[in-house]
Amino acid sequence: MRLKQTLEMALENLKRRRFRTSLTTLGVVIGITAIIALSSIGEGFRLAVKTNMEQGFELDVLTVIPGSIIGGYSYQKFTDQNVTSIRSIQNVTTVTPIMQITGASLKNGDKKSAALVVAAVNFTDFWRIFRNRLAFQEGGLPSSPKNDTIIIGHKVNTVNQTGTFAEVGDQVNVTFTVRSVPPFTKTLTFNVTGILAESGSSILTSFDYWVFIPLTTGRDIYQTEESDVIFAQVNNPEISDKVTDAIEALFPPFRITIIVPITFIRQVDHILNLIQIFLTSIAAISLLVAGIGIMNIMTVSVMERTREIGIMKAIGAKERTIMTMFLAETILIGLAGGLIGVPTGYGVAQILTMILSRFMLNQGGNNGVLSNPERQPSTTVNPVFSLEWTVGALVFGILICVIFGWYPARKAAKLDPVQALRYE
Amino acid sequence: MKFILEVKGVKKAYRMGNVSVPALRGVSFSVEEGEFVAILGPSGSGKSTLLHVIGGLDRPDEGTVFIDGEDIFTLSSNQLADVRLHKIGFVFQFFNLLPRLSALKNVELPLTLADVNEKETTEKAKKLLALVGLGERMHHRPSELSGGEQQRVAIARALINDPKIILADEPTGNLDTKTGWEIVELMKNLNAKKEQTFIIVTHDPSIAEEADRIIYVKDGIVEGIKERVNKK
Ligand SMILES: Nc1ncnc2c1ncn2[C@@H]1O[C@H](COP(=O)(O)OP(=O)(O)O)[C@@H](O)[C@H]1O
Ligand SMILES: [Mg+2]
Repeated sequence: MRLKQTLEMALENLKRRRFRTSLTTLGVVIGITAIIALSSIGEGFRLAVKTNMEQGFELDVLTVIPGSIIGGYSYQKFTDQNVTSIRSIQNVTTVTPIMQITGASLKNGDKKSAALVVAAVNFTDFWRIFRNRLAFQEGGLPSSPKNDTIIIGHKVNTVNQTGTFAEVGDQVNVTFTVRSVPPFTKTLTFNVTGILAESGSSILTSFDYWVFIPLTTGRDIYQTEESDVIFAQVNNPEISDKVTDAIEALFPPFRITIIVPITFIRQVDHILNLIQIFLTSIAAISLLVAGIGIMNIMTVSVMERTREIGIMKAIGAKERTIMTMFLAETILIGLAGGLIGVPTGYGVAQILTMILSRFMLNQGGNNGVLSNPERQPSTTVNPVFSLEWTVGALVFGILICVIFGWYPARKAAKLDPVQALRYE
Repeated sequence: MKFILEVKGVKKAYRMGNVSVPALRGVSFSVEEGEFVAILGPSGSGKSTLLHVIGGLDRPDEGTVFIDGEDIFTLSSNQLADVRLHKIGFVFQFFNLLPRLSALKNVELPLTLADVNEKETTEKAKKLLALVGLGERMHHRPSELSGGEQQRVAIARALINDPKIILADEPTGNLDTKTGWEIVELMKNLNAKKEQTFIIVTHDPSIAEEADRIIYVKDGIVEGIKERVNKK
């Protein structure tokens, strides 16, 4: 029998058991809806987490720090020779060393403040690498930085919740502690050329608690030619691994650690992916239940239509034809279930994420920390339409229908025609 | 004269638990092309079983059937289905139409199974329905037709693939006398016009008298064969 006639006949047979067909289809609809809803929310959640993480990292910046967890912490500083070697590695665009000075205190007239880190940096290179995170609220980068240039992080400049510590043009005193034997302190006066805007939370550190002075000044104070951390920017985050290997090769084993942001993201993405597969598998079970429903309904249907099957066979229908006829019915159920279930699934996902983000918004408002409105968009989860999941769910739905429809269809095909004709 | 059908030593028993109930105990006869044959016998004598075996619906325990010179029980069930589709037309006592399909669709069914294109199928079905006198009612479902009309639809369906043999199992058994005779007349006319072979099972001797030849069956064996004198 031709495809068109087979489908027509299957449709006709489904229509004559409208109520039963609807219920069976509903089972498939629920299964597909669950799969689509969970997978699209999962995908959205993954995207939201990823976006959030990417905002917390400079994806293209490798951070080289001394010491290694495996080899034990060995105190090591970097020489300018190290910096030059790293700079010559392929795909590395900018390399900049910094000194991290801790324990410094700041004074502007009567006002006092403290910085988590006084970073002695090469302003041009450092800003090239972290341009997105280091926006100015006031002032800016001096075109030619002097030895006494200082740029102050947002939180360092905030005293007593709302007051400001300094303004552009102010002279501030910074007291450094030099840990030589015996230790001594050294106070220098700096000229404020810029105040940073809030930088947003970073995974590694927040520059809000930092102040920046020229690298040369830092080295003068501590009488050193070395630096504490090297930042290396790559031209494509995806090749971070290669560059990391090349940098590691420059040092003896276990002397340095390189923080590679893309591997964090990959890890998290991997975990989220596993969670999503797990959730979707649970949804897939509901489709299995629907499949059992189909098997049940089709078995009953074969029994009811025994006589018709006998007639078809007497007329000359082959086993294959009978089998195809019954399978066509279950495939149509699967197709209908899929075509209804996919949009329903995305609809349910939309509604669920709306409820979810409203709930999360309320939570944020309560504890105050997350209530920063600028950060809200990144925490909203939007269900993601994925062609792969859609096609996958449809195919899986139909596959389930075929698998569970197989046994009853085969039973129909194998009926003894003479017995079937006698059947009342 | 060539035999369109040869039944050779057919035996068939039904198994009921541990006992085997013989339905056919060695039946042999031959039918010539274009003949109109009646199989006459009392209820339970094995007529239906015989007809099912001839039509390839049921396999015999022993013996075989040749249709058009071909031993049909050497064939696979798929090939046997093709024999039923192309060489045999069945007509039953209870009409056996598909209840959901219109008269037209019922008649079309064998051609649909044979993958003949839609246009040709419909044209042929309409022609045949007109031939059996049902041109006006072809869009009705079986439940909207009388017994006689349903049997006409069944005959049209049996004829549509131009089979060599039409097998009818008590085709008048479920009809009143007058309608029954109309159906017999119809089949006789078709037999005369199209030179198709008709084998009709009946327990009504007066209907059997209309045939070219009567094969008497009793207790699963052929008791005798009577040739009509004025055979055409
Ligand atoms: N499916 C079956 N199972 C058991 N016995 C059967 C079956 N079909 C027919 N018989 C028996 O075989 C014999 C012949 O039956 P059948 O061919 O239907 O006779 P007829 O058509 O002449 O009335 C009867 O005794 C009947 O009871
Ligand atoms: Mg009978």
